[in-house]
Amino acid sequence: MSRRSARLDLVLRRLAGAVPLILGVTLISFLLTVYFGPDQTYALVGKNPTVTEVEQLRAELGYDQPVLVRYMDYLKRLTTLDLGHAHSTGESVRSILARTIPVSVLLVAPGLILGTLLALGLAALAAWHQGGTLDRIISAVSVVGMSLSLVVVLIGLQAVFGVWLGWFPVRGWAVNGPIDYLHHVAVPTLAFMIATLGYNVRFFRAVLAAEMTSEQVRTARAFGLGPVRIMIVHVIGSNLLPIVTRVLFSLPLLVISGSLLIESQFGIPGVGRITFGAITSGDQPILMAVVGLSAVLFVITVTVADLLCRLVDPRVHQR
Amino acid sequence: MPLRRATLLVCLMFLVLTACDSEPEQPQRVYRHAIDGVPGSLDPAHAANIYASTLVVNIFDTLYRYRYLARPYELTPNLAEDFPQVSDDGLVFTFRLREARFADDPAFSDGRGRVVTADDVVFSIRRHFDPVTRSQGAWLWRDRIVGLDAWGRDGADPEAEIAGLRALDDRTVRIELTRPYPQLLETLAMALSAVVPAEAIAAYGREFAVRPVGSGPFQLLSLDETRAILEANPHFQRDPLDLAAEGFEPSLHARYGLESLDGRRYPLIDRLEIQFIPEPTSRWNSFFSGRGVDNLMVPPEQATRVLSSIEPLTFQPQIERDFQTYAGPETGLVFYGFNMANPEMGHHEDPVRERDNRALRCAIRDAFDWQARNEVFYHGLGEVYPGVIPPFLREYDAALPRDSIEHDPAAARQRLAEHGWSAERMPSLVYGFDSTIERRQMFEQFRAQIADVGYPREKIRPLGFGSFGEYHRAIIQGEVDIFLIGWTLAYPDAHYSLQMFYGPNAAPGANLFNYANSDFDALFRTAATLPPGPERTELYRELNRMVIDDCVVIGSLTRTRLHLWQPRVRMLPDREVLSGFFLRFVDVQDFDS
Repeated sequence: MSRRSARLDLVLRRLAGAVPLILGVTLISFLLTVYFGPDQTYALVGKNPTVTEVEQLRAELGYDQPVLVRYMDYLKRLTTLDLGHAHSTGESVRSILARTIPVSVLLVAPGLILGTLLALGLAALAAWHQGGTLDRIISAVSVVGMSLSLVVVLIGLQAVFGVWLGWFPVRGWAVNGPIDYLHHVAVPTLAFMIATLGYNVRFFRAVLAAEMTSEQVRTARAFGLGPVRIMIVHVIGSNLLPIVTRVLFSLPLLVISGSLLIESQFGIPGVGRITFGAITSGDQPILMAVVGLSAVLFVITVTVADLLCRLVDPRVHQR
Repeated sequence: MPLRRATLLVCLMFLVLTACDSEPEQPQRVYRHAIDGVPGSLDPAHAANIYASTLVVNIFDTLYRYRYLARPYELTPNLAEDFPQVSDDGLVFTFRLREARFADDPAFSDGRGRVVTADDVVFSIRRHFDPVTRSQGAWLWRDRIVGLDAWGRDGADPEAEIAGLRALDDRTVRIELTRPYPQLLETLAMALSAVVPAEAIAAYGREFAVRPVGSGPFQLLSLDETRAILEANPHFQRDPLDLAAEGFEPSLHARYGLESLDGRRYPLIDRLEIQFIPEPTSRWNSFFSGRGVDNLMVPPEQATRVLSSIEPLTFQPQIERDFQTYAGPETGLVFYGFNMANPEMGHHEDPVRERDNRALRCAIRDAFDWQARNEVFYHGLGEVYPGVIPPFLREYDAALPRDSIEHDPAAARQRLAEHGWSAERMPSLVYGFDSTIERRQMFEQFRAQIADVGYPREKIRPLGFGSFGEYHRAIIQGEVDIFLIGWTLAYPDAHYSLQMFYGPNAAPGANLFNYANSDFDALFRTAATLPPGPERTELYRELNRMVIDDCVVIGSLTRTRLHLWQPRVRMLPDREVLSGFFLRFVDVQDFDS
């Protein structure tokens, strides 16, 4: 078997293996969020409904169907991307997602990219100065970052940059061009970075610090290579697998779940906000779509991460 | 080389983002209004809450509306030319419409809004009875209009005539009632009754809820989960604003600078942005940043930050200096209800046990301390009164004894002792609440007070629910025995609160308590057909006394709303009776140029 067909075979086997995983994940998420989720009947019916009206509505919502029928219908809808209409607004779920996902991507992407780069930089500094003052300061900052409640960070940033200094809008997403975009995304990006920095720095530092004692780093030092080159080429380069995996695992959050708290607090019409609204109101078509697509995307991400790991490091395959 | 690539990439991103610039140039007079919730559907048939109502009454027309400044609330014609002609028996109403046009929309054959006709009014009420509509407002006219219920039951044939709901000509609507319905005109001022064009319903189906087309003062430009942008509807024509007719009183309203609006045509602004901000801190920050929303209904927990005294109610001097202010009662009430369907503490077939159960409920009521509740959770800003007819209604009875709202632990203990309620005999009761910190604190306060008169703490069991919807469902399905609820009046008439105790309205209807009292029901039926007047007022008060005497509820309290708005805005905000009519009269003075 040629190397190319071996890779194709691997990809197909991994994708086939993802199918039962997707079925399992969607079944659990269906049971938790839809079957055991809120019942919207009485939120959608008028003040003094007749028994017939209540029964008609329940039938229309599918509440009178057995769980297996409802799950099969859910899978069918998910597969055909016929996601129905939101119960609360009547808007098609597809158009809701098409409207909100780009907003969430634009909102969270800068925080994800800058946050990852900054975390890598700080982790590299800490790893290089392992045990030193700088390492201790960065570690302490990371712990503080992990301990801070995101809600407190959001309210604090909003108050400081929006109300007190008045540099950025307190809320909203009136984006009509690049300047507006930067204006609206600055504070949420800062919040996202603060929220993720501590965890990322701790993780990356642990990975990089372990590599600092390796033979190749000692050899590179012996050759007289500079610290930046050693760190980028020999330390980070050798640890791309865990770094890429961690970043990839953030993508489902970025694309589907959005950033629920950030979007709610800053009044940004992204997918996180509609998910939050759907959870509190029990709007099942939206919940089913978001949870189902998140699950599918997560499984795909795991599969892609796995394949990438094998491509980047052939030893993974051999193991 | 990598640097060049990165620069190119950044430039490309900027180009893409610039290309996204599709929002039209900002008009000049913009008012940014904040509300504390998100409207669901903007289809009038679903506009049963204040958030949807605020938008719907401004996008669509209702036959009647409330006068801008008159309190108590008074109806005035809106799409209707005048008040209707009413037959001597009070059963036939004839309405004449004024000339109005729907906003332009692709749903119309030439894209241009057509004239609103009597057929549109008929269609808009009739569709509530079509099961496809999934109406939340059909209950308003059920069994009230001749032939309407049967039309819905028989398949809702659009070609079929309804004897009691007809268009006599393009501008005349005739409604024939099955029995007198004194609140009919109030229902025709509700967002649920707003007039919709059949073409738009046919064109957009369920998406009409997010693509509304009406003949109101504004038309929807865009809508998402955080805001709605509306612009003035160029087809909207009404007589100029007559402040005196709207209830202007210099002693009450002169400070708001409304005189300059007199005689002007409305709407007075080009663009209305309604922002949906459920998070109190976010609403607060947006208002006080000076560049966000133009108004703020002060969150209750922040009241002390804007007030210098509660009695008399005074805003802080700096707040008075920097903003316009208004304080007024909500048109609603907050109270505890008992699940009367639970024989352990509610109705019982054994008359002795029935009396014992009543004594138990009354003892719990005596043990509860409204004063403490008001001070701890409402900063003393609530008004506590006996029964369920609030003081802002004409039918309020100021002479009613106040013992039902007084904290009297001694009386509670005595009642329990007299009816043999020992700690062992007292039933376990489930106290339901939606799981917020505040609701949990309210439960703890309630339980401590009840425990103080000898009710075992472990027998008052908390049951939290993840959302208000779930909590509401649990009340309807009888899963909780004691529950705190708020009730907002959709029209200013005690009928709206007393219907909560009418037997045929038992859960899932408005009678969440499952209160069953044939005397009450008979009296309610009589009162419901009477026109406003001393006779009806007396019946309403008698019904209120029955609710108090039977200890069905512990209540009530009406909260005080505190409103702030930027001085550049000329208005008097109003969030009550499920309306938002005032937005058509809002003006901004130093608008963006």
